[in-house]
Amino acid sequence: MLDFAPTEEQEEIRKLAQSLALDHLRPHARRAEAEQDSSTELRLTLAQTGLTSPFPEEYGGSGPLEAVTYTLIAEELAYGDPGLALNIIGSLMGPLTVWLAGSHEQQQQYLPPFCNPTSGYLQRGSLAFAESTGTYRLADIRLQARRTSEGYLLTGTKRDVVHGQRADLRVVLARLVENENENEDKVAEGKLCAFVLPSPLEGLSIQAEAEKLGLQAAPSARYRFTQAQVPASALLGEAGSSGVVRAATLYQILRAALACGTARAAFEYCSAYARERIAFGRPIVSYQGIAFMIAEMAMKLDAARLLTWRAACSWDRGEADETLIREAESAQRQAIKMAQAATTDAIQVMGGAGFMQDHPAEMWMRDAAAME
Amino acid sequence: MIDFTLSKAQQAAREYAHQVALEEMRPISLECDRTEEIPESFFWNMQRRYWGGAAAQARAFGQDEGVRQENLLTVISQEEMAWGDAALATAIPGPGLAAPPILSQGTPEQQARFLGIYMDGQLHWGALALTEPGIGSDVAGMSTTAVLDGDEWVINGHKHYITNGARADLIVTFATIDKRLGREGIRPFVVPKGTPGLIVGRIEKKMGLRASQTAELIFDNCRIPKENMLAGRGEKKEGFKAAMGTLDATRPMVGAMAVGIARAAYEAAWEWLREELPAGYPPQQRRAWEEELEELGQEIEMARFLVWRAAWMADRRIPNSKEASMSKAYAGALVMKATATAVRITAPGEDSERKQLIQKWFRDAKVFDIFEGTAQIQRLVIARRLFPNIDIP
Repeated sequence: MLDFAPTEEQEEIRKLAQSLALDHLRPHARRAEAEQDSSTELRLTLAQTGLTSPFPEEYGGSGPLEAVTYTLIAEELAYGDPGLALNIIGSLMGPLTVWLAGSHEQQQQYLPPFCNPTSGYLQRGSLAFAESTGTYRLADIRLQARRTSEGYLLTGTKRDVVHGQRADLRVVLARLVENENENEDKVAEGKLCAFVLPSPLEGLSIQAEAEKLGLQAAPSARYRFTQAQVPASALLGEAGSSGVVRAATLYQILRAALACGTARAAFEYCSAYARERIAFGRPIVSYQGIAFMIAEMAMKLDAARLLTWRAACSWDRGEADETLIREAESAQRQAIKMAQAATTDAIQVMGGAGFMQDHPAEMWMRDAAAME
Repeated sequence: MIDFTLSKAQQAAREYAHQVALEEMRPISLECDRTEEIPESFFWNMQRRYWGGAAAQARAFGQDEGVRQENLLTVISQEEMAWGDAALATAIPGPGLAAPPILSQGTPEQQARFLGIYMDGQLHWGALALTEPGIGSDVAGMSTTAVLDGDEWVINGHKHYITNGARADLIVTFATIDKRLGREGIRPFVVPKGTPGLIVGRIEKKMGLRASQTAELIFDNCRIPKENMLAGRGEKKEGFKAAMGTLDATRPMVGAMAVGIARAAYEAAWEWLREELPAGYPPQQRRAWEEELEELGQEIEMARFLVWRAAWMADRRIPNSKEASMSKAYAGALVMKATATAVRITAPGEDSERKQLIQKWFRDAKVFDIFEGTAQIQRLVIARRLFPNIDIP
């Protein structure tokens, strides 16, 4: 039955995430941008809430959460700071993919370090999704995994891999191919699969992405695989399983939620500014030229958030892979597009002040642009 | 708990309305648009199938589910009806837009007296007369007056753009009892058809929704019983709020209709690409159109969710002015974009009935950016709710 209200429990978790965002993310956003990472202190604070270990209790986790709940959390974190939020979510996607796609043995091997009460917060996960096209669409994944007698040979590239350089757990999405030098179409049709990369891995070169437009607080890297041999045990679960699709679509849904949070930060910030700023004797928000821009932002933010929630609901209900992919990719596309417009307009509302680094609006505009 | 799946009652309402739209509306859509007339048989079929069938069934299911969901059931049905034909959807017998003010402002006695006539199985309509030649959204500037003379209200004024105005059995009209009070002086009155002094003026010729009847009404010393003023159920007389409250309920409905038309155009454009695209088009052109339609499909879903949310809030009695305006503004712009896109994509090749329908929807769409408050008025409502302490003129 149609319902648009989070449960009381979800609302409590959302409030917790919001207070973390306002107390610990927003105040440190500029520092994190300069240092291109989150502080150890912040990671410890988050770990203590249990929000960063949503894994089964048997591995020491704080218990899995519904996608809807995680969507609410991701929006709040991005509302605090988009770069730091991506830093946190990006790290989480590594172990989450193991949990969703891996076998019981693989879960036992990789998850407990992330749940360790004294050292778990130091662990970094990563999920390599996007490639040279830069999109986060499953149809664009071209990294080839060719079956060999010893395991799989990986060939291709990845980009935007959050924590790619320093990760303790590197997971990559790839396509399974049977023959050497398959053509593009055959690769695209290959079964979707996820691998945990051994470290070090011969044939893998990792390069930090240093000069980024936005989201600097989430350090990222590029991978180049040239005939990198990984053992058969590196394959998470089975190739073409729903688990991989669920991991990938969860990332897409959370990226959509991050975009919503970014837009909300910009919307609220420029609203407060427009309420205080006086021009021609009146607050500028009393002019329709400004008020209508803000109304438009609010409307489109709500629309994209609803689309994101719908995808998260389908994820929780365990909808078929094709439905999940369509809905998650729609939400991701619309939310990011919306966030780019909202952050750009927020600067416009603020005029010259929006352009200055005294205010966070210019950072959010760059962050939203970097989400694509 | 956040949930985007339809309940049994909601699913039933959607399926039934879709069937009715498919069987009763689509077949006569183009003809009614051309002639600006609706065959009598349509009204009787709708009276039988819709009021007797869908509405009753949905009510029964809805009661089983134990939550208030009239608004949700209505918007779900409205989307399907407008998918069939938005003009015909406005002409379905029933109290129509007269119902919300009677339900929200009428006493139980008034509700029984006025709405009772719609239950007799005959053809009856209702209308809401708000707009005047000199006022639209700025209802505070209303010039129609009501003066108490003994046991009767005497109404004088001029209303126009009234949907079903000429066929309505009851017209809820807004008039001022004291111009000096501004919007506080506005009250809703129920004027029955045939009341001396109620004159039907011209029927408008329109760009779209041509089969929908849009009438001018003149009140010339029109006398109605004192008991026909909808005085509100509280101590305070809240005429202006009644007018605005009506809009909070009807804006999501209008939004739902816009979504229905947008979806019709979107589906028809896909069908055209599959079935009518002339040979020789380069695949990349086709791919570009498909991508455009995919994007449009996503926007249609967002519009629908905004509509559902606004209706859901109304059912839960959560104040929803802002959300109602969002749904209307978003859907109004979307239906323009959807129909214009469909017209452009399907421009090549031979004329066909599908293309005529698309062109009709294109003409129908524009008014959804206008009636029940223009796109600009919706943004004003949203902004005023976002900034309650700021005077946004």
